[in-house]
Amino acid sequence: MQIVLETIGTTPVRSWTGGQGAPLFYLHGFEQHPGAASFLRRLTEDRAVRAPEHPGFGRSGGFEALVDISDLVLHYRAVIEAAAAQHGSVDLVGHSLGGMFAAEIAAFCPDLVRKLVLVAPYGLWLDEAPLPDPFAITLPELTKAKWSDPEAWTAREPNGFAAGDAPSYDAYRQQNLGAATKYMWPIPDRGLARRLPRVRAQTLIIYGADDRLVPPVYADAFSRLLPNARSVILPRCGHLPMIEAEDAFLAEVRSFLG
Amino acid sequence: MKVHWFAEASYPHLPPNFRETGLSSWVTTPAHLHDPYEVGEMCRMFIRLMQQADREGFDGLAVNEHHQTPFAVTPSPNLLAATLATTTEKAALLIIGDSLALYNPPMRVAEEMAWLDCLSNGRVIAGFVFGTPMDSLYCYGVPPLELRERFHEARDLITRAWSEPEPFAFNGKYTKLRYVNLWPRPLQPRMPMWVPGSGSVETWDLALDNDYCYGHLSFSGLHSAKPLVDAFWDYVDEKGIEANPYRMAFTQLICCAETDAEAEAKYAEAVKYFYRNRYVHPGFESVPGYRTAKSMQSMAQHAQQTTSKLSPEDKARAGRGEMGFWEYDKHGFIVAGSPETVRQRLEELAKDLKIGQLIGCLHMGNLAEEVAVENTHLLGTRVIPKLKHLWTEFEDRWTPTPPARGVRASATPALVRNRELARA
Repeated sequence: MQIVLETIGTTPVRSWTGGQGAPLFYLHGFEQHPGAASFLRRLTEDRAVRAPEHPGFGRSGGFEALVDISDLVLHYRAVIEAAAAQHGSVDLVGHSLGGMFAAEIAAFCPDLVRKLVLVAPYGLWLDEAPLPDPFAITLPELTKAKWSDPEAWTAREPNGFAAGDAPSYDAYRQQNLGAATKYMWPIPDRGLARRLPRVRAQTLIIYGADDRLVPPVYADAFSRLLPNARSVILPRCGHLPMIEAEDAFLAEVRSFLG
Repeated sequence: MKVHWFAEASYPHLPPNFRETGLSSWVTTPAHLHDPYEVGEMCRMFIRLMQQADREGFDGLAVNEHHQTPFAVTPSPNLLAATLATTTEKAALLIIGDSLALYNPPMRVAEEMAWLDCLSNGRVIAGFVFGTPMDSLYCYGVPPLELRERFHEARDLITRAWSEPEPFAFNGKYTKLRYVNLWPRPLQPRMPMWVPGSGSVETWDLALDNDYCYGHLSFSGLHSAKPLVDAFWDYVDEKGIEANPYRMAFTQLICCAETDAEAEAKYAEAVKYFYRNRYVHPGFESVPGYRTAKSMQSMAQHAQQTTSKLSPEDKARAGRGEMGFWEYDKHGFIVAGSPETVRQRLEELAKDLKIGQLIGCLHMGNLAEEVAVENTHLLGTRVIPKLKHLWTEFEDRWTPTPPARGVRASATPALVRNRELARA
C-alpha cells in the first residue's frame, strides 16, 4: 500500500491507499492506525481501499478545529466526497472508535454511504454492561481485555508508526490516545443512539466473541437501533477481529459487500 | 515572611493494611472504609485547629479542593472557608484553590469568593487550580484536552466579573452568558490571586504574566523541589521580573515538639500514615493529553536533576511510608524537631528556595488533635515571630491588606476602575 499525505481543505490527512475498483474507506480504532496491515492489503485485491488517519492521530492534523461530532463528520464528508462523486457512494468499514465515526457519518450523510461495516464499534452505553475505562486500566489489563490470545498477538500488532511521526512510539501512542479522549472521555457516548435510526445503509456488525473492551452484547444494541442491520460474532478473537481472525473477518466482509 | 496554616484533611481511620490491599486512595476507594460520623469529628477538629492558628499569629489558613479520596476530605474549599470567615478574625482565607473547570457556570466561583471576601472583611486569597487528574478528569469527567481551555476561559470570566463595572455579555466556548453582573463584588479592590503548579513552564507564564503568586505545592520536600524552584527563579530573571520571594509559595510538613526525641515519638506514625495511604492507581495519575509535550519535557529534565540527591528508589520508599522518621527529615519531606531546630531549618529552606509564602502542614495523616494543637502553638508562638524579619525589604502584594473601616463604599469596582483610568 502507499502512504499518501494530502491536504483536504486546510487539513493534512495521512492515508494508506491501494487497489482498484469500487471505493472502500477504512476508519481505524482508538489506539492507532494499523498501517499496511495484512487485512487491509488483502482488501485492496478487489477494492480501491483508502484508510485515513483520524485528526490528531499520527500525522493527520485538524484536531484543534474539532469541537464535537458534527465537525468530525464534516471532516470525513470532505475526505469521502470526491470518491462518492465518482461512484455514487462508498462502502465504509469502521473499527472501534472508527466504527463510531462510520456510524455517525452514515447517519449524517446517508447519501455518501452504500454499505456500512461496524467492527467492535464504540458509541453506545448500556448500564447493564458498563465498558472498562481504556484510559485508566493498566497496559497489561488493556492487553488482556483486547485480545483473545494476548500472548500470541501483543507483540505482533501492526501499526502505522513511522520514524519522524513522534519522538518515540510511546509519544505517538500518547498523542493518539489523547486525541481519542475527545470522543471517548469519560464515557464513549456522544448521542449516537439518537441518530442510528437515521442510517439508511445496509449494515453488518462484527464483534469478537472474546472482546472485553466492548463486549458482544453491544452487537444487539446496535442491531436494535439500526433499521437494516445484521450482526455476526466471530469466535477466537477480541477487540481486533480483523487481526486475530483475519480470514473469517475478510470472508464476512467480502460476502456482505458483494 | 508569611506562614500559612494548612492540613490535608486526611481521613484518619483507614485500616492498617490499606496500602497492602492495593486499593487506590483516590477515585475508586471503597466508601465502606469511612464512617460519616468520624468525618464530622475530623472536620470539626480541623476547624478548631485553624481557629487556633488564627489566634496564634498565622498569616493565612489554607483550604483546598479534592474529590473522592480519604487523602483530603475537602470537596468544597469554599464551604470550609465560609465556616472560618465568621469564626476567625485576622488570618487570610487562602483558598488554594477552586478547580475552575469543575464549576458550571464558573460564575459560581466568582460569586462565592466575592461573597466570602465580604463575609470575612476582605481576607480572601483567590486560588485557581487545574485540579489533579484524579479530581478533575476522573471524578468530575472533564475531557483531558479541554481542561486547560476550560480553566482559562473560566479564569477570564471570573476575573472580569470581579472587575468590570458594567454588566457584560460573555460568549465563551464553554460558557455563554448574556448578562454578567456580579453581586456581591469582592470587598478588596483586587483580590490576591494564586495558582499552584508542578513545574510546567505554561503555569509559570500564567503566574508571572498575571502577577499571581505561584505555588509549588508538593509533599516531596526540599530535594525534589530544589531544581524546579531554582528553574522558576531563573525563568523570573529571564523575563526581567523582580524576584520577589512573596510571589512564590511552598508547602512543608512540619513536626514540632519541645525536643527532637519528643518529635519522633509524637509524629512518626502520622507521617508514615500520611505517605503510606497516598497510593493512587497509576491509571488515575495521568492520562494522555493532560500534560502538554513542552511540560513533559521540562519535567523529565528536572526529574533527572532531582535524582542526584534523592534516588528514585528512595522516593518510592518514602511514598510507601517506609522511611525512618529522621530519613524523611533528612530529605526534607518533613521538618522536625524542637522549635529552635524547626526555626533554623525553615529559615534555611526559605532562603535556599527564596520562599516568601510558607504553607506549613501542621497536621498530617492520623495525628492526634492534641499534638496538632501543640505543633500549632509552638509554631505560632516560638517560630513564626522569629521568621517575620525575613524578606521585609520586599513588598508582599499576594496576601490581603485589611481594608480600613468605612472605605467599603468607595472601594466599589466601578470607582476603583475610574480611579485607575484617571491615573492612567
